[in-house]
Amino acid sequence: MSGTILENLSGRKLSILVGSLLLCQVLCFLLGGLYAPVPAGHTNVLGSLCRENHARQNDTSFFLYSRGEGACTQVTREEVEQDSMKLANQIVHVFQMPLPRDSRVLDYSRWQQNLIGVLQVEFGYDSSSELREPPKELQLTIDMRLAYRNKGDPDHAWKLYAHGVEHRYLDCVAAHIGASETLYTCDMIPLFELGALHHSFYLLNLRFPLDTPKQMNLQFGHMHDLTLTAIHQNGGFTHVWLMLKTFLFPFVVGIMVWFWRRVHLLQRSPALLEYMLLYLGGALTFLNLPLEYLSLSIEMPYMLLLSDIRQGIFYAMLLSFWLVFAGEHMLIQDSPNKSTIRSRYWKHLSAVVVGCISLFVFDISERGVQLRNPFYSIWTTPLGAKVAMSFILLAGVSAAVYFLFLCYMISKVFKNIGDKRTSLPSMSQARRLHYEGLIYRFKFLMLATLLCAALTVTGFIMGQMTEGQWKWNEDVEIQLTSAFLTGVYGMWNIYIFALLILYAPSHKQWPTMHHSDETTQSNENIVASAASEEIEFSNLPSDSNPSEISSLTSFTRKVAFE
Amino acid sequence: MDISYIFVISLMLALCSSQAESKQKSGRGRGSMWWGIAKVGEPNNMSPITTGIMYMDPAIHSTLRRKQRRLVRDNPGVLGALVKGANLAISECQHQFRNRRWNCSTRNFLRGKNLFGKIVDRGCRETGFIYAITSAAVTHSIARACSEGTIESCTCDYSHQSRSPQANHQAGSVAGVRDWEWGGCSDNIGFGFKFSREFVDTGERGRNLREKMNLHNNEAGRAHVQAEMRQECKCHGMSGSCTVKTCWMRLANFRVIGDNLKARFDGATRVQVSNSLRQSANAVAVVSPNAAGSNSGGSNGLLQSAVSVYEDEERMLNDHMPDLLLDNTHLSSKIHHPNMPSPNSLPMAGARARNGRRQGRKHNRYHFQLNPHNPEHKPPGSKDIVYLEPSPSFCEKNLRHGILGTHGRQCNETSLGVDGCGLMCCGRGYRRDEVVVVERCACTFHWCCEVKCKLCRTKKVIYTCL
Repeated sequence: MSGTILENLSGRKLSILVGSLLLCQVLCFLLGGLYAPVPAGHTNVLGSLCRENHARQNDTSFFLYSRGEGACTQVTREEVEQDSMKLANQIVHVFQMPLPRDSRVLDYSRWQQNLIGVLQVEFGYDSSSELREPPKELQLTIDMRLAYRNKGDPDHAWKLYAHGVEHRYLDCVAAHIGASETLYTCDMIPLFELGALHHSFYLLNLRFPLDTPKQMNLQFGHMHDLTLTAIHQNGGFTHVWLMLKTFLFPFVVGIMVWFWRRVHLLQRSPALLEYMLLYLGGALTFLNLPLEYLSLSIEMPYMLLLSDIRQGIFYAMLLSFWLVFAGEHMLIQDSPNKSTIRSRYWKHLSAVVVGCISLFVFDISERGVQLRNPFYSIWTTPLGAKVAMSFILLAGVSAAVYFLFLCYMISKVFKNIGDKRTSLPSMSQARRLHYEGLIYRFKFLMLATLLCAALTVTGFIMGQMTEGQWKWNEDVEIQLTSAFLTGVYGMWNIYIFALLILYAPSHKQWPTMHHSDETTQSNENIVASAASEEIEFSNLPSDSNPSEISSLTSFTRKVAFE
Repeated sequence: MDISYIFVISLMLALCSSQAESKQKSGRGRGSMWWGIAKVGEPNNMSPITTGIMYMDPAIHSTLRRKQRRLVRDNPGVLGALVKGANLAISECQHQFRNRRWNCSTRNFLRGKNLFGKIVDRGCRETGFIYAITSAAVTHSIARACSEGTIESCTCDYSHQSRSPQANHQAGSVAGVRDWEWGGCSDNIGFGFKFSREFVDTGERGRNLREKMNLHNNEAGRAHVQAEMRQECKCHGMSGSCTVKTCWMRLANFRVIGDNLKARFDGATRVQVSNSLRQSANAVAVVSPNAAGSNSGGSNGLLQSAVSVYEDEERMLNDHMPDLLLDNTHLSSKIHHPNMPSPNSLPMAGARARNGRRQGRKHNRYHFQLNPHNPEHKPPGSKDIVYLEPSPSFCEKNLRHGILGTHGRQCNETSLGVDGCGLMCCGRGYRRDEVVVVERCACTFHWCCEVKCKLCRTKKVIYTCL
């Protein structure tokens, strides 16, 4: 890559540009912090007990529900306690979402995007029978039926969404040890994940079949309270998120078109870094594409998976870009031919590839399978959890390898910069300016990247530590989690936006590049002096047209003067 | 249409007249009469659907104060939860005290009398426990009913989502639904606390020592519910990572709360009437007229401080409903919201203006410090149960004090504790009986849907006090 806009921009213009971009960044942060609600809301639903009609037990089109016309007659806890068999095999646990509030029937909106259900189990043993300590990883078999109903449907018109008999493993601790009964409280278990919250009401019917021949659920005394926590994305957050995406999308597309036109105006073929920048912009555009609008009218259960993939592609691209960028600024031109990913960087990028593939496999085996069966989770079985953990571990190791390697590359670049610094004064002017440009570009990106990475990390840690909220004063409070999400999203957009502008090739014909007569005059001198050094230039990778180079160097010198 | 109108009107008239009737009664007796709603709906098994019938139960009018009736009327479904809560308190109390001389017995027929009997006329430990466990049970039961969906008026608490753009210029139910869509609703537990304070503490103005004892024990019960809440979190960011995390509070089983309260019962603090009205060092000497305990009948004045400063109020409320209660990521804001604990957040039609005026006093009545009887003891903490006078022995039947005695109670021959026959029967001796108990045993289950059991006969020896 020859001279870029970054080198040729005057200090004042650069500061204006950086300042306005920083302003945009602050706006993104405030948009999430002040305007958006928390990213996710939740509803805690306590299971109601209904007595089963055995004739319809296997009928998956029949549902028991606790509110509305035709609701089941509920069994009270006392009745269960009094029954000598604790009504075994007769009870259905019913969860109807969402709950009514403020004397109104609430319904889910499609803006709420997705629904994740986790279950908390409490059960008790009769201490009289035997005093047993429940083993860890207690297997629980649950017959789960998820149904939906839309606004305007009659109260009984529940339709089956998914049905499954699943195993979950429970880790429990004794909450109360008494003479008559020992109570156990268990860690929450994942129950279901819906990628599309397409319907208004949801209903979950849970049964815990007791079966002696199959040894099913026998080690449980009897169930006490079951609490389902249904987590959804908040509609307001979706609004803000989509707003941000719709706003950023055209800007990034526009700047990409501008960038590519500029590259094509040159008389040389695009350099590797220019390709990388374009790819990066493409990945960002894919991420920015507001596909979520479609989910408001079409049921898209694959939305969760898709957004994971989109983010994954973007981050993979970003990591690759940093590596290539560091590699291209080694200041050693070992091969005269143009470098490509395949010829130089495939080894460097293997860590990124391995990490991404392992995360992708993990995602497919979790969220991919959930497309078929929303009750599935890879974490529920001990083996699955181990497999999932190993994929994540692999991704973590490759991330560590990547960062070590990146650090190594960057330190090497800095070492080269130091070496070149000492020999700079002895070089010819054009060559010196070329190197100075490279060093400047590299340092600028390093600074910007470090800033962005540091902001991301501190934002993440702050979000984790302060439990998501931060109070400015009495009236103003900042939703840290939302601010973190929109801030980081906006930040990477702005980062890439800035890269596309600043690292676009510049040339003197460009009318926006103001330069005084004085510099134009001095150009000619340099053209003359540069001609004598043509041999040296031929080694430079992007050397194509001596006059173009010389004009660029004049700009760099102008920067140096200012 | 017209008929139903007439019906409604006549119903309202009936309500009014019975309100007036019970007005004189409500102030009488020291024990909280509302416990009596445990008997509402009996002997039929009540279910949430039949709440309409329950409102007509005369037991309501004889047991509830006017404000309590209004709360019940304005929050459909709350009555069922209160009935459940009262029964929960009774069964838990009886469970905790099954091995003691006083076994938390209740009357079967109220007839305008107190559910637990005359024992609550005395300010003894047992009374303190009753107050604490009933207030805890109401809190627990209301919060549960909210998450079960049986109370439709549980608040959504939008206060922190008021930035929602649509909410400002759209009235009524549409705004509420928009708010839910925009920022979701909060946990249910906060509503349970607020309601319990409104409902249970009605009538306990904190004017004399006994009322202060009741208030303190009510608060202690709620504090135990709250202390046993546990936070649970779920990560659901990109690929399930913790970039997005949602947290909520989980209520403990009431048995655990009962255990804790029983432990506090065993270590309860006796408090006393101090000789002089002492003010705490930082207290303002002149107490504002609407502050707690500053009434003219301050002969019992045990108050150390009765300062009513707005900041104090907020701090105190934070003490009682601390961050733990509502520290879900989007909930914690409310605790700092000055209006949050106000009674106005409960739907009570027509009660706003009055409450607005009384608000200062209502909150400050919780702000007092009781002195221990033995000055060397520590003053009671917010979770301690306090009492005023030593308990009677409960050995002999004494109807004047509402004591049933331990005649005919079962005891444990081998135990040396209170449940042992020596102590339980107060040295009167005991009888040994052998009974054959028939139980189901060796059950086999088949899915679906049968359960086969054998009947086992076991011999048991029962000891009964004479």
